[in-house]
Amino acid sequence: MSDAAKEAFDALKETVGRVTVDDPKMQAQNVDVFYGDKQAIYDVTLDVAKNEVVAMIGPSGCGKSTFLRCLNRMNDTIPSCKVTGDITLEGESLYSKDMDPVLLRARVGMVFQKPNPFAKSIYDNVAYGPKIHGLANNRAELDDIVESSLQRAGLFDEVKDRLTAPGTSLSGGQQQRLCIARTIAVSPEVILMDEPCSALDPIATARIEELIDELRENYAIAIVTHSMQQAARVSQRTAYFHLGKLVEVGETKRIFTNPSHELTENYITGRFG
Amino acid sequence: MNNATTERVRATLKKRYLKEKIFRGFGITAIAASLGFLVLLLGSILIKGLPAFQATYLNVDIELTEDVLDISADASTEELRGANFSGAINQALRDRFPEVTKRKQRRQLSGLVSSGAEYALADYLAENRDQFGNTVNLWLLADDEVDALIKRNKDLTQPIKRGKNKNNESALITRLSEDQLGWLQSFKDAGDTNVRFSSTFFTNGDSREPEQAGIRAALIGSAYTLLITFVLSFPIAVAAAIYLEEFAPQNRWTDLVEVNINNLAAVPSIVFGLLGLAIFINYLAMPRSAPVVGGIVLSLMTLPTIIISSRAALKAVPPSIREAARGLGASPVQVVTHHVLPLAMPGILTGTIIGLAQALGETAPLLMIGMVAFIVDIPQSVTDPSTVLPVQVFLWADAPERAFTERTSGAILVLLAFLVVMNLTAVLLRKKFERRW
Repeated sequence: MSDAAKEAFDALKETVGRVTVDDPKMQAQNVDVFYGDKQAIYDVTLDVAKNEVVAMIGPSGCGKSTFLRCLNRMNDTIPSCKVTGDITLEGESLYSKDMDPVLLRARVGMVFQKPNPFAKSIYDNVAYGPKIHGLANNRAELDDIVESSLQRAGLFDEVKDRLTAPGTSLSGGQQQRLCIARTIAVSPEVILMDEPCSALDPIATARIEELIDELRENYAIAIVTHSMQQAARVSQRTAYFHLGKLVEVGETKRIFTNPSHELTENYITGRFG
Repeated sequence: MNNATTERVRATLKKRYLKEKIFRGFGITAIAASLGFLVLLLGSILIKGLPAFQATYLNVDIELTEDVLDISADASTEELRGANFSGAINQALRDRFPEVTKRKQRRQLSGLVSSGAEYALADYLAENRDQFGNTVNLWLLADDEVDALIKRNKDLTQPIKRGKNKNNESALITRLSEDQLGWLQSFKDAGDTNVRFSSTFFTNGDSREPEQAGIRAALIGSAYTLLITFVLSFPIAVAAAIYLEEFAPQNRWTDLVEVNINNLAAVPSIVFGLLGLAIFINYLAMPRSAPVVGGIVLSLMTLPTIIISSRAALKAVPPSIREAARGLGASPVQVVTHHVLPLAMPGILTGTIIGLAQALGETAPLLMIGMVAFIVDIPQSVTDPSTVLPVQVFLWADAPERAFTERTSGAILVLLAFLVVMNLTAVLLRKKFERRW
């Protein structure tokens, strides 16, 4: 980082741009995250709107994944991790005593960086969520859920003849779509995606990006990505993180054409990161 | 520049390949050496132990008449049991060698046949009541000294190795007298000796008479003991491993537990035996020499082995699977039972089988709790007095009769077979679970 950029970062007290939306699905307010003594997130306030894709970009280690994982309490299992501030889903606080993490994760699904299908058949991969949550009353309903989820994930035609084949027998891109199908089978309200295409080739990536755009009709989506092109293609709003601070938020088009903050500009023009 | 690199690399290549060759050589030597030892061990046990599965029989004509058996023709089954079968056998032998009249010689003559032969005769008559009153031709189990000579096809005309024949290479080592050797020779000449497979070794319990001693009591005892060990140690160990690996917070207490489990694995097994004696037998008044106590003691010993290997197996399950399940809203228990445990099962089973194999071969702690007893009866339940295979090996290896040498090796063969069956089961089970897609 150049001296000028460093100064700009140190001077950063407040996120540039509008962090709130009119019709929020999730709201994070003044979130700080600590791993032991080390602070990973500084005072982040950000809304996730309904039927919108919000992309989080930034250099490695900027805290965007950490922030994403706070949104469905996936950091719970890390004993040293402490989250302060408030995150709400439809006005309910995520970290309050009344919020059950199991229920929360049924409402806020997650797709991971590396495709991680279960060591089960394609059918069982998708059916697992509905099964444990008791979403299907009988086998026929379960079949319907599996089929429609695979269809919405754009995978059904490719696998309809081999639903009993192991999920891991699919190609990387297919596996990731299977993981997306698995997530939407539970009918969540929000889908979090943590660099979902970083392990995929361009063709599989394009397919997933299309899918994300289609899913936007029904879900609120937050996606972390390393690829600025991807953020530009799939998201409506973009949030730029830098060393744990949320530097700038705005409409994707504006962020990529006319960024307000010097750090954002440096990043999207490729000067660092 | 490039050329210089090429030259340098080329110069080192020869040395690198030489090193690889040497390394491979060491590996092959090590494998050859261990295989050699294995063959030596197995070969020696096989050669010594195989005769244990065979027994020598003598062909005798036996009168089964009222006079000889001392019962009436219409005797009940119970009365038949009490008939004078040993008298009948002795009579048959005396009829064969009428020249034997002296009391001492007569006793020696009876000594050619095993003392267990009368039971075989009783069984025969109980099954063939129509033979009552007839003279039947039967093969009777021979005494162990006879068995040793006939089995090895010794020349019975050689002098006996004692006194002045001490240094005679071909002299016979036997406790039989010269008279007995003479009678045996006559049996042999008449073709009335036979060596064949005998199920006695597998159907009888222990006995003071080697030719009647069998492995069954110890085999059943081992099976019961291992059953108890498995039933206790497997669920406890797996539960402990899952808790420690998946649920327990990382703090000083869990560290302490971990250190203690690792230490427990290194505690000499006899200490567990003493513990069993003090707590289970003296304090809790559980039965002595019983597989249930043996099983409990061996589970204490097996627990750390299974816990440690289970934890390793659980650790090897990729964290991404846990995240995926948790991300879908699976509760911690569901994450474990639906995803982690099935994937860790092959490893857990391997650890269990290693632990059980150790338990199967364990002797010292069982000596402490009285499983070293002389057990003739086949144990019928886990609370019956019994012994186990390695202890039986230990007992027989200590017995003075030479015929027990082959029984000892025979018992080791049975123990090894048991082990092979167990390992095979484990491999098959693992195959079944190992659908790691």
